[in-house]
Amino acid sequence: MKKYKNFNFIMGVILTGLVVLIAIIGCFYTPYDPDAMDAVAKNSGISMDHWMGCDNFGRDIFSRIMEGIRNTFLISLFTVAIGTIVGVLIGAVTGYFGGWLDEILMRINDALFAFPSVLLALVVISLLGTGMFRVTLALGIAFIPSFARIVRSEIKKQVTQDYVESAKLMGAGNFRIIFVHILPNILPVLLSSIMIGFNNAVLAEAGLSYLGIGVQPPDASLGRMLSEAQSFLFSMPWYALFPGTVIVIMVLGFALMAEGITQAQMK
Amino acid sequence: MKVKYYCKKFIAMLLTLLAVSFFVFAAFEIIPGDPATSILGTNATKESVQALREEMGLNAPFLSRYFSWVLSCCKGDFGISYSYHIPVREMIADKLPITLTMTVLAMLMTMIVSVLLGVFLAKHTRSVWDKCGYVVNQIAMAIPAFFLGILFTYLFGLILKWFTPGGYISYQKNFVGFLGYLIMPSIAIAIPKCAMSVKLLRSSILTEAGKDYVRTAYSRGNSTSQVLYRHVLKNAMIPVITFWGMALADMSAGSIVVEQVFNIPGLGRILLSSISNRDYPVVEAVIVLIAFLVVITNFLVDLLYRKMDHRMQDGEDLK
Repeated sequence: MKKYKNFNFIMGVILTGLVVLIAIIGCFYTPYDPDAMDAVAKNSGISMDHWMGCDNFGRDIFSRIMEGIRNTFLISLFTVAIGTIVGVLIGAVTGYFGGWLDEILMRINDALFAFPSVLLALVVISLLGTGMFRVTLALGIAFIPSFARIVRSEIKKQVTQDYVESAKLMGAGNFRIIFVHILPNILPVLLSSIMIGFNNAVLAEAGLSYLGIGVQPPDASLGRMLSEAQSFLFSMPWYALFPGTVIVIMVLGFALMAEGITQAQMK
Repeated sequence: MKVKYYCKKFIAMLLTLLAVSFFVFAAFEIIPGDPATSILGTNATKESVQALREEMGLNAPFLSRYFSWVLSCCKGDFGISYSYHIPVREMIADKLPITLTMTVLAMLMTMIVSVLLGVFLAKHTRSVWDKCGYVVNQIAMAIPAFFLGILFTYLFGLILKWFTPGGYISYQKNFVGFLGYLIMPSIAIAIPKCAMSVKLLRSSILTEAGKDYVRTAYSRGNSTSQVLYRHVLKNAMIPVITFWGMALADMSAGSIVVEQVFNIPGLGRILLSSISNRDYPVVEAVIVLIAFLVVITNFLVDLLYRKMDHRMQDGEDLK
């Protein structure tokens, strides 16, 4: 951890830590029930009782943001997990063994790469339907090609190195070489692309939920709150401002961490 | 040899297009539900459903249906919409220019602004400008385009009243007014991509500036700006152009979301309403169109790449 001691990484860790903390607290405690409607507090502004005011149904915006962060965070986490695990497997196998399997899988990958990830997720959603679980699956599938591509090119670079040769001479099996010898060496690259992937997942999820085909009500989501807030932009601009800013902080945190890792690598 | 390279790239592009269309077709093939039933409604008799299936060619084997679909797509016939019962082409034809104009506007802004800013920041490294630029850049990269759109609507639409939020002028009526309404959405799409490309160009120029040929160019008596514009920029642009190719793809998808923010009736709205109506021919057509746009752009970027980087040899890709 010591080598990552640069400004970007530390700022990133602080911002991300803040968001993660709120997400964890949001799992157990929110000031109000995020779905509880309070007719008296409808459209109320910022006050001591409601830190960020209430929406048009009288739901506490702060509580909903806490739930929204949690949902967005979990969706992005699982999305990246699906993308990374499947992507690493495909990338490792194709990059290490090469041959016709590599050729075929990479052609498929190229074709999939032609779909921007939001579009690919849209296809999967139109096939599977909406909701938190399906959105995660859709985004996860949409993220596989980019991870596969990165891992493949990194492994290709490593395969010709001497240490791989000597591991082979020592009689190590192919999978041992891939996962025990090569993978640790590409970890920094993988780590920073995981963080960038996480950001893309946050943005994609927010975009899909904004369009109304991501997280479905009553589940709170930052993107959905933004689309709900748009009708009240004139009377209560803060309703849009808070969830939007939270998205920016979330993305910024991970981007800075990724930046820090890359910087530490270059030294 | 040159012709051979272009042919090879062209064939690879055609294969990718074929694969893309196959994916889309196959994906919509596996969903449960019968198109004939969805057109006729659940009350239709078995005979009429069967007759329509025969007429639509749904009883043919999968591959032959795929190829006839591809052929008719090439002719510009994307089938008939399930929910509106009109040819998909008519639905898309006047919407495509809207999305395309927006994407192209955003792309042009990104290209112009990012080159100017990138060169400026690279020239003034370690200055106050550079540090401010870095912070602004990092934040700009983190803002989703649709949130920027909402901020613009509030600031420029509601407070400054530069444009009517949700307003739109059709391009057939008044092209200048139409462009006026597309400027804000295009800026919203462009800013995050622009920030990324400024950052990339700045670091790419700085990397290039440390190379030997730069020293040679200086020693031959060139001034800093001569070295920068005639030598360094040419090479520094290569990774940036690759990025632009990918950014264009993201922008065309991002415009779907931003269109909703500004209430612009482009491809995005059609795509969304068809997804919720399960109007698959329309979804297929829009997705295939966007994917084709991306593949063709990447092909053009590849060609441009080769023109710019003379180190690239036949059949060898520098990655």
